[in-house]
Amino acid sequence: MEVLDLRPLLAPLVSFACAALVVVARKNVFWRRFWSLCAAVLKLVVVLSMLPGTLAGAVYHTPVITLSPGVSIAFRADAYGLFFALVTSTLWVVTTIYAIGYMERAEQRARFFGFFAVCVSTTVGIAFAENLLTLLIFFELLTVATYPLVVHAETPEALRAGRIYLTYTMAGGAFVLAGSLMTLSAAGTLSFAHAGILGLDAGRATLAVIFMALVIGFGVKAAIMPLHGWLPIAMVAPTPVSALLHAVAVVKAGVFGITRVIYNVFGADLLGELGFASYLGALAACTILVASVMALRQDQLKRRLAYSTISQLAVAVLAASLLTPLAALAAVVHLANQAFAKITMFFGTGAVREMTGKTHASQLAGIGRQMPYTMGAFTVAALSFVGLPLFAGFKTKWYLSLGALHADAWWFLVVMLLSSLLNAAYWFPIIHRAYYGQRVAQPERSGRRQGAGLDVDRDAAGATAASAGGKREAPLVLLVPTLICAAYVILLGTTAAVPGMPTSIALIAVYETFGLAGPVR
Amino acid sequence: MTFSWSQAVAWLPVLPLAAAALVPIVAQRNARAAGGFTFVVTLLTAALAVALTIRLVAEGPLTVHLGGWVAPYGIELRFDRLGAWSAPLATFFALVVPFAWRYLEGSVPRERWAAFYALMLLNLGGLIGFSLTVDLFNLFLAMEVVSISSYALVAVAGRGTAAWAALKYLLLGSVSSLLVLFAVALLFALTGSLNLFDVAARLAASEPSPAATLALASLAVAFVVKAALFPLHVWLPDAHAIAPSPVSAVLSGLVVKIGIVGLVRVMQLAGESGIALDVFSELLMLLGAVAIVMGAFLAIFQDDIKLMLAYSTISNIGYIVLGLGLAVPFAVSGALVHVFNHALIKVTLFLAAGSIIHQTGLRTLTDLRGVGRTLPQTCAAMTLGAMAIVGLPPTAGFISKWYIGLGAFSAGRVAYGFALVFGALFVFIYYVRMLNTFYFQRATREEVVAAVEPPWSMRGPVIALAAACLIVGLFGGILLAFITPAVGELLAAMGS
Repeated sequence: MEVLDLRPLLAPLVSFACAALVVVARKNVFWRRFWSLCAAVLKLVVVLSMLPGTLAGAVYHTPVITLSPGVSIAFRADAYGLFFALVTSTLWVVTTIYAIGYMERAEQRARFFGFFAVCVSTTVGIAFAENLLTLLIFFELLTVATYPLVVHAETPEALRAGRIYLTYTMAGGAFVLAGSLMTLSAAGTLSFAHAGILGLDAGRATLAVIFMALVIGFGVKAAIMPLHGWLPIAMVAPTPVSALLHAVAVVKAGVFGITRVIYNVFGADLLGELGFASYLGALAACTILVASVMALRQDQLKRRLAYSTISQLAVAVLAASLLTPLAALAAVVHLANQAFAKITMFFGTGAVREMTGKTHASQLAGIGRQMPYTMGAFTVAALSFVGLPLFAGFKTKWYLSLGALHADAWWFLVVMLLSSLLNAAYWFPIIHRAYYGQRVAQPERSGRRQGAGLDVDRDAAGATAASAGGKREAPLVLLVPTLICAAYVILLGTTAAVPGMPTSIALIAVYETFGLAGPVR
Repeated sequence: MTFSWSQAVAWLPVLPLAAAALVPIVAQRNARAAGGFTFVVTLLTAALAVALTIRLVAEGPLTVHLGGWVAPYGIELRFDRLGAWSAPLATFFALVVPFAWRYLEGSVPRERWAAFYALMLLNLGGLIGFSLTVDLFNLFLAMEVVSISSYALVAVAGRGTAAWAALKYLLLGSVSSLLVLFAVALLFALTGSLNLFDVAARLAASEPSPAATLALASLAVAFVVKAALFPLHVWLPDAHAIAPSPVSAVLSGLVVKIGIVGLVRVMQLAGESGIALDVFSELLMLLGAVAIVMGAFLAIFQDDIKLMLAYSTISNIGYIVLGLGLAVPFAVSGALVHVFNHALIKVTLFLAAGSIIHQTGLRTLTDLRGVGRTLPQTCAAMTLGAMAIVGLPPTAGFISKWYIGLGAFSAGRVAYGFALVFGALFVFIYYVRMLNTFYFQRATREEVVAAVEPPWSMRGPVIALAAACLIVGLFGGILLAFITPAVGELLAAMGS
């Protein structure tokens, strides 16, 4: 049942207000931290408060401005939107804590935390968008708001990365705009509906152009190959940004957009008849494998993470394009599964870099003895990606495989198996080296934290040679968020059938979309 | 004497024109007082125009016959939904004039201030007259008032290349004026009338003649030059960049729109007289699409921030012309809304750029590195304006782009739709460079490091305008609802 409620609007507004307060607080460290944390928690509370209602079948909606008949800015928190919002706002809380620790000595922190808040705000706006126009507005705002975070270091390298990032994403935005306009002129409305809003009467050619425009547009952010070029380059951003934005907010916004297009603009029935989704599925399958092979070849940890992200996102896109309920369920839960596991890895990588200055997989010999908790969390995430039972990633693989079998697409099982093997091939060596590898005696680049006592200048710290022996775990402000995320990975993997847990919302989302009354087959 | 609304319509162009004559007298005592006087006049004009607009929405259009002579002999002024353009015109002047008070101190010699303010008022009077009159000869007259005051305003700073830019502007402007005069004479010879609707009615009643088509074509070409549609834009960039910033704002945001209003008049004339416009519309669409891309493309190579803004005007005129050429309801409404939106955004940008230039004395991107840190408010306004001109949601520019694009797609012109949507990306390349230099690069010039925010008489208008860019973006539906009836009439007349 539809319920008029202000909360779908309130959730994005909370972090916009936070951004304003952070800018006002500027130099005052305490208030800046206070407002950042306060807004993160408040937003989570707002989103959580909608959970009981959604589980009971309510859909909250907030109309804001009507531009012309059929075109409006409006918010609507259906189960799928709420699921996505829940993932981002939970992760915002942990990432804010991590970022406060990580960015301690960085410059322009007011700008950083301000735009950080705007990004989360736009992500929730995307989650709760009632129609394509609202989605597009927040999609473009997200692009604009992430730019200052990508170029945060202000180095020529960062500026170049920023340029490439903008070129890709602005072009993507233009495709979404064109696709939305064509949808509006073909369907007369932009509001998402469970059965889709387009019909066969629009003509097969027109529908093909619309599908391509929208999928390319959202596909840029979802980094489907060959539209993925910006993601590894954007890894120049500070770690919390890479973690939240390039593992969760930005890329997931792309996947979310694609699922909305598939299920709520076209509708599973229409797409099944048209057969466009199978091309998308094939592309996604290629992306899964190619990106995994690329990840194998990366030594720099953040780049390996980036390619792994590309591969994981394609899993969600593949799941969505199979058009069966169980595969759709896989696409939904994968949003959370991948997000928590990937953010754990980013946090771990950031902590290692912070403590030891090491950024490459080949340098990590012995790091597991040095930072046992951090690497423990990292291991949990890696096991989840490989898809071991009891870890979150297993559930994606399970549902996706079942969904693929329902769709008579057995070859996707082969893809999933290969993907698991490849994941094992690029994560396990790191873990093995971290726990069993012998450190080569060589002068190492020290981390920022070691050099900090001697000199304040960040660049000079790199030159200071320091031995990194014994146990030196990351400070709690970095470690606790990492461990929370790792715990979540296990939680998601073990509580699939527990009512009230994220999976149950995902189930409701799938019931809604496919118009099912009972449990998914 | 009792007040009547028809008198108010007559006063609308007369007030600034008459006041322009008084400016030198006021300035004789105190050059500064002339600024205050001009501000009061623009404010009064704006208030009057806004009141008339509110009345228009409530009670419908108003027609006045000057001197009591009824059309087709007398001069007819019409305050309809197109004529309501005079309200934003006067409002923008009321924001630009206070900005100019302090700006002139740094860029225009004191003895020319009186001339500056008088010319501004003349310009406003001409612009309002142009949008109200439906008499062809007066249309020409108003256009000349605007053009001549514009040439003089470009030259008013009197430095280096200003005279040359003004001359180039004058030469192309005169060609356009001559064409209008020729067309008006031809139409008068054909029909014996000067009233636009009367001329149209008589043309419709008579046999179709090539002479009438020629007259309409020369009017169209003349207005296309005035609108600086690519490739007839060559006069625009220098003139707009060299003029003092308040003048640039007026020229780029408001004066080029004469060409657009003129084109709408041509469409009305052609529609009412039953002359087919198909080829003309096709040409407008093509040129519009080319202008969008080329204007943006040329802007990329500019280092001077004002030149870049001038080139982006060419691109935006492309949007409007494409919208008019598409001749479907959404596109024409979007185009007319963009006449307003572009004025708003461009005035914002030029005034913000003017503030930066005034406070630092620098005007190229290379010199202005890091200025975002010393002039945060001005640069924030500039950023908002840049986002609006690129058409990012939810700013004013997005609304117009959305509706013109919707028109293109619903008319089945998919290629033009894509040209529109992607043309803006070129513009963005430039603005990203601008934002990078403002915010993400270190200052290299001492002037930038030492700069402070401008005085409130300059900062206030800039901030108000930037806020309007956002507010209009959110409530753009109102503008669209306002202009839609006029578009309906126009398209009904054109029979499409």
